[in-house]
Amino acid sequence: MIEDETLDRQLREAAPYIDDDGFTARVMAKLPAARREPRWLRAMVLLGLTVLGSGLAYLLSGGGRFVREGMVQLANFPVWLLLVFAFGCGLVVGAFAVIFAIRKTPEARDLARLRF
Amino acid sequence: MELTDADLIARVLGDDDQHAFGELVRRHQSSVRGLLRQLTRTDMALADDLGQETFLRAYKNIRSFRGEARFSTWLYRIAYNCFREDARRRKELVGVDEEQLQAEHDPQTVDPGLRHDLMHALSLLPLHERTAVVLCCQNGLSHDEAARVLDIPLGTVKTNVLRGREKLKRTLAAWGPN
Repeated sequence: MIEDETLDRQLREAAPYIDDDGFTARVMAKLPAARREPRWLRAMVLLGLTVLGSGLAYLLSGGGRFVREGMVQLANFPVWLLLVFAFGCGLVVGAFAVIFAIRKTPEARDLARLRF
Repeated sequence: MELTDADLIARVLGDDDQHAFGELVRRHQSSVRGLLRQLTRTDMALADDLGQETFLRAYKNIRSFRGEARFSTWLYRIAYNCFREDARRRKELVGVDEEQLQAEHDPQTVDPGLRHDLMHALSLLPLHERTAVVLCCQNGLSHDEAARVLDIPLGTVKTNVLRGREKLKRTLAAWGPN
């Protein structure tokens, strides 16, 4: 009886390499048109909209009056409470940053799967 | 230095670089078309149409490729889905075209007669066993990767590979161990 390894090797060797023979060109001809606008233009549009939105929010909120009032109220809080609040915010933001970084970094994911 | 698949994908994502995608197509076209030819039982025209559809879908959905599997595994999954959708539309699979099968280049390392018998025996396996054997034994995917491509349980893949292998061995018993 043929061994598994022998059969697998024969299957691999029996599979022919298929010449491209214009296949890639046919695929490329059917691709949708690439984006025209450069990346810097998209970044500028995004930045412009952000500045515009911030300006509108500032004007509509009475010149940022509520921000000043909020800061005054915050200043009346005990120092220890502000420290705890700042530490908690830091923990939450840091945790999200680490999770996002691991999800976006294949090397970090591979490291997490390593067995020692 | 040759760019890796990940480098090319980054260029497609970052700059919408179609030349980089073309290089990915060139690299993987043979294995994807080979898989589809096995699935369609060597109907080369249909396999190539499905191959084109596979790469077009890959381009349109490349942002959903998260790099958790190999790019080739992701392509196999798209190719298999294209095949299933087409088969569902047609409601039947086409038969083996012996002339087309023999028209392929014969590798030097395998006896042409053995190769013919092997490919013929492979084409006679039921679809689920043939697919599992082609992915795992011919294309070198792990059982786990094949399970993800086919979207079936790991145990089912193992069973299909085992049964497919046994049938091929029985069919090819006359050739003896090489």
